[in-house]
Amino acid sequence: MQQLLNGLSIGSIYALFAIGFTLVFGILDRLNLAHPAVFAAGALVGIELVDAAGLSVWLALPAVAVVGGLLGLVVERVAFRPLRDRPDAHFAGLIASIAMGGMLVALLQWRYGPDTRRFPAGAFPEQGYELLGARITLLQVVILAISVLLMVGLTLLVARSGLGRSMRAVAENPTAARVVGVDVERVTATTFAISAALGAVAGALFAMNVNSAQLGMGAAIELKGLAVIVVGGMGSLPGALVGGLLLGLAEVFAVQYVGSSWRDLVAFGLLFLLLVVRPQGLFGRARVREV
Amino acid sequence: MLGESTIVFVALAGLFAYSFYAVLVAGQLSLGQAGFAALAAYASATLAPDPDAVGDGAALAVALVVGVVVGAVAAVVLGLPTMHLRGVFLAIATLGFAEAVRIVLLNADWSGGPQGLSVPKILEPWTAWAVLAAVAYAFWRQAPSRYGRALAAIREDELAARSTGIDVGRHRLAAFVTAGGVAGAYGVLWAYFVRLVVPSDFGFSTAIDGLVTAFVGGSTVWLGPVLGGAFLTAVPEAQRALGIEAGWVRPFLAGLLLLVVILFRPGGLASLVPRRRPRLAGAPDDGPAAAPAPETRAPAGVVASLRGVTKDYGGVHAVRGVDLELHAGEVVGLIGPNGAGKTTLVNMLCGHVPPSAGRIDVLGVDPARTPVHRVAAAGVARTFQQTRLFGRLTALENVLVGAHLTSRPTFLRRLLWLPSARRDERAALAHAGRCLERVGLGSAARTDAGALSYGDQRRLEIARALAAGPTLLVLDEPAAGMNAVEADALSTLISSLAADGLAVLLIEHDVGLVMRTCDRVVVLDFGTVLTAGPPEEVRRDARVVAAYLGAEDADDEHVTGEEAR
Repeated sequence: MQQLLNGLSIGSIYALFAIGFTLVFGILDRLNLAHPAVFAAGALVGIELVDAAGLSVWLALPAVAVVGGLLGLVVERVAFRPLRDRPDAHFAGLIASIAMGGMLVALLQWRYGPDTRRFPAGAFPEQGYELLGARITLLQVVILAISVLLMVGLTLLVARSGLGRSMRAVAENPTAARVVGVDVERVTATTFAISAALGAVAGALFAMNVNSAQLGMGAAIELKGLAVIVVGGMGSLPGALVGGLLLGLAEVFAVQYVGSSWRDLVAFGLLFLLLVVRPQGLFGRARVREV
Repeated sequence: MLGESTIVFVALAGLFAYSFYAVLVAGQLSLGQAGFAALAAYASATLAPDPDAVGDGAALAVALVVGVVVGAVAAVVLGLPTMHLRGVFLAIATLGFAEAVRIVLLNADWSGGPQGLSVPKILEPWTAWAVLAAVAYAFWRQAPSRYGRALAAIREDELAARSTGIDVGRHRLAAFVTAGGVAGAYGVLWAYFVRLVVPSDFGFSTAIDGLVTAFVGGSTVWLGPVLGGAFLTAVPEAQRALGIEAGWVRPFLAGLLLLVVILFRPGGLASLVPRRRPRLAGAPDDGPAAAPAPETRAPAGVVASLRGVTKDYGGVHAVRGVDLELHAGEVVGLIGPNGAGKTTLVNMLCGHVPPSAGRIDVLGVDPARTPVHRVAAAGVARTFQQTRLFGRLTALENVLVGAHLTSRPTFLRRLLWLPSARRDERAALAHAGRCLERVGLGSAARTDAGALSYGDQRRLEIARALAAGPTLLVLDEPAAGMNAVEADALSTLISSLAADGLAVLLIEHDVGLVMRTCDRVVVLDFGTVLTAGPPEEVRRDARVVAAYLGAEDADDEHVTGEEAR
């Protein structure tokens, strides 16, 4: 039970991170590898806001989301929009976003230095609860709640709102969307902003969960995020949620039963098998190619 | 001025980048190379003999062979189950493999865990450069060979490559195994230079570095990886030489430079070097002025027969119970309103989609059970309703790809500069040139296909199809985008092809062109054959006019008689 709760808590952060990845992929068919850098930025900026500006942890989160959203806009404008019409836009965008991610991490190093940073003492509430013999902290509950709320909100946004409809139209066919009057540039930029805002919040929550943040934390979660979106099905939002939670649980239980050093092998072994057997993922649709 | 290690690292970065280039030229994104390199490095560290016993050179040679073989075998093992994956899916699957390899190495007993294995430093700078030169040489010879062109075609448009008779699966696997071998060589050289084999040297960031190096250098030009390796190794060196302090400035500038290259040099650094474009082989003296017909295979009476062919998509009956026979030397027109099932029928004929019911026999093969490239090899060539050219190849190169089936493999012989390879390449060039001349595009031979006008692109597709020496030629709306003069020339061309013995199936909306050109016209409507017969009969058939032009059309009151209602 304790493991289950821990797994859900960490898994919800994976899911929140991955959902930003998959949102951009689902709508634009591009992998944005600057996303992990935004994740680290969210964590470090969050710590600074609490530490230096004296904001409460809960007020810092919306601020982190805004910072992340702005970063997303910059990434889209610099690394993706200029490359849109190139025949190899897929690869070029990937590389350009790697470059952007590297620059962002360098800037973080300039601002915060290379050392591990932590929230100041007393930043979180300390209380915990007993639940069916397991101990869960208020912090874990809040992390889980925020992640799930954000993801449900996003899913509703995409499924129900006018913006969501435009997003899906762009995903289906950008040219046709433009013809019927969708402002493709704006929808694209908004998608990037939302994606990066979620990634930054995920970073801040991750830093709260383990009470530490380093420059390399984005790189560490990057592979997991990729695994999650593949398992869930590229571009599928509910898939990313389920995939993230599954990965969190798999990790926690793998540590318990096969030892911590083999933990990641379980995750990547499953990922590989799934890709070979069912490339479209658990929730993805197979794409039909027509002549 | 340049330290020994810098010189070696340039070579190693270039070598590793070639393992990415090897698959990027075929349009594949793989991130598993670090895994291949790791396996190769550990295998050679374990298996290679002690340099003190056999000498440095011999030990390194054995290690290299072991590494290349291990890398290539690992690529086969990984490639067989993953070659059907595309784009980022392949990238992530191969990445998962590399991570799994790294984790196993980190935790296994024989691999020394995180401390790794130590090996002697026996790599001399010249050896590293010699290996790099050998690999670069092979890729230089590969590019303008039949194999190299086939890979480029797969990169540009996989489906079109298939229908020119290229076995895409085998070619992709071959490229992947090449990548594995090169990555293996890199892993071995790296180990014997840094004296240490540790899992952390073969992680995700290593793979990303290799990919970035290949891309910055230019992922479609053989010189690219060397340039990329030099550039990315030189940037931190130059920064150090300029006295820029370490810390955040160096990675920031490195990222900025990378971004600038990607944004402003789409082809990578190698695009600064002008690309070699094959020219038409000395046109006038190479053949008689009346360009002879491209040699076609022996025609065989009935070329294709369809019996009760049906295709359903869910509840939609795209094609219903169509019977059709195509004969050598005959031009058959297939007309019908939009959505009548013409293209679906053609896709079934060429093996792109299987029929839901019915039997098709084309030149002795059943396209429902035969891969597209084998249907092409049997003698079926086609053009597409929406042109599918290899956009970044020149017009002549497109036609050379089309000649895949009629030319012989030249890559291995080109490696040895055998004169026979040169002869074969010349013959293929001359053949492609004739096909290009025949559709009237001789003067555009060196233009990129993507830069041609719409009508020219359609004619280029025909030339590409002709280059395969087909027995059955399927043209899907070839006149779309052509003006009246061009359409007339097209009609003449089609008639002359039939006179050479080809069977031609022509889908076209330009009814005038169809009536002028075809021996027989088949009219499809709602997936069924409305009528079939000589053009003049079909033209008089009131049902056709009603279905095709629409009975409500006011201009056609003289045919919207009693029968149409």
